[in-house]
Amino acid sequence: MNTKNTTLSRTQFQFQPFHLVTPSPWPLLTSFALLILTSAAVMYFNGYANPLGGSGALLVGIGLATTVAAMALWFRDVVAEGTFLGDHTILVQKGITMGVALFIISEVFFFISVFWAFFHSSLSPTVELGAQWPPVGIATINPFELPLLNTILLLSSGATVTYAHHSVIEGNRRGAILGTLMTLVFAILFTICQGIEYVNAGFTIADGVFGSTFFFSTGFHGIHVIIGTAFIAVAFFRMLSYHLTDHHHLGFEASILYWHFVDVVWLFLFITVYWWGS
Amino acid sequence: MADVELKTAPADFRFPTTNQTRHCFTRYVEFHKCVNAKGEESDDCMKFAKYYRSLCPGEWVEKWNEQRENGTFPGPL
Repeated sequence: MNTKNTTLSRTQFQFQPFHLVTPSPWPLLTSFALLILTSAAVMYFNGYANPLGGSGALLVGIGLATTVAAMALWFRDVVAEGTFLGDHTILVQKGITMGVALFIISEVFFFISVFWAFFHSSLSPTVELGAQWPPVGIATINPFELPLLNTILLLSSGATVTYAHHSVIEGNRRGAILGTLMTLVFAILFTICQGIEYVNAGFTIADGVFGSTFFFSTGFHGIHVIIGTAFIAVAFFRMLSYHLTDHHHLGFEASILYWHFVDVVWLFLFITVYWWGS
Repeated sequence: MADVELKTAPADFRFPTTNQTRHCFTRYVEFHKCVNAKGEESDDCMKFAKYYRSLCPGEWVEKWNEQRENGTFPGPL
């Protein structure tokens, strides 16, 4: 059928290597979901009455749920296009990798602003804090207890995910599954340990600028850890479902890149906020 | 006109900028450290007293005196 030079045959080929996406409702749905999430969050933070009554937290929850659902449906389509429809040629893969790298760079800039805030307050502490950092009256966390364990967990997870990646490239299914599983175990242990730290800390986010900068920096890092864990978990389930090949496993590679970024941010956090700042 | 000696706290190289808040705070803390070490009416401490009284706004001194009485003063006394 494809050998005849008819109009029908020619529609079976595209003479350029890029992926022209078919119309999709997910971008619009995502933008509406984000609108609900952000405006609900602003209303909740500022104590405005909202149509659903109560504190407004329910609307934030609805916004968050719809955003996650819209993202899931969108990414599901990308997986279908890449893994099952063959739309992801080498050039498309390169473009996607560049996109992931640029996204991570934008997240780096977000964390730069967070660290800027920390250094602004901590390098020249005001007289209200007693002109010292940590401020007078703050019982800091010993960096060489749980935070050091967390550092080891994240560094180890970086090693296990590298082992998993090499296993995928070598076609070693068992190694790939075990490596990714260990990475997820370390990631979840990290989150649990941070939870324990948060509950048992001697200060809260309301305890002056120390509390604000500590929980802002570690809190946003924690959110990124949870996102990174979910990212790797999705790659893990796709690996189990035989989606990945030894040459084409972009979702897995993107999750690994994101995980390394999360690890590096933690190292900066450990050295500046936990160690120098204590 | 009688010769009146006018002087203020000396320029301190630790506080080179226009904002002398930290200078005032340091002198206030220094005076009270001296008083805690040497006693209330010691003459050595009067030097520091003159410095902080020249540098610091009255409202701040009052507020810090209150905080010291309450035990909530943030400085290392």
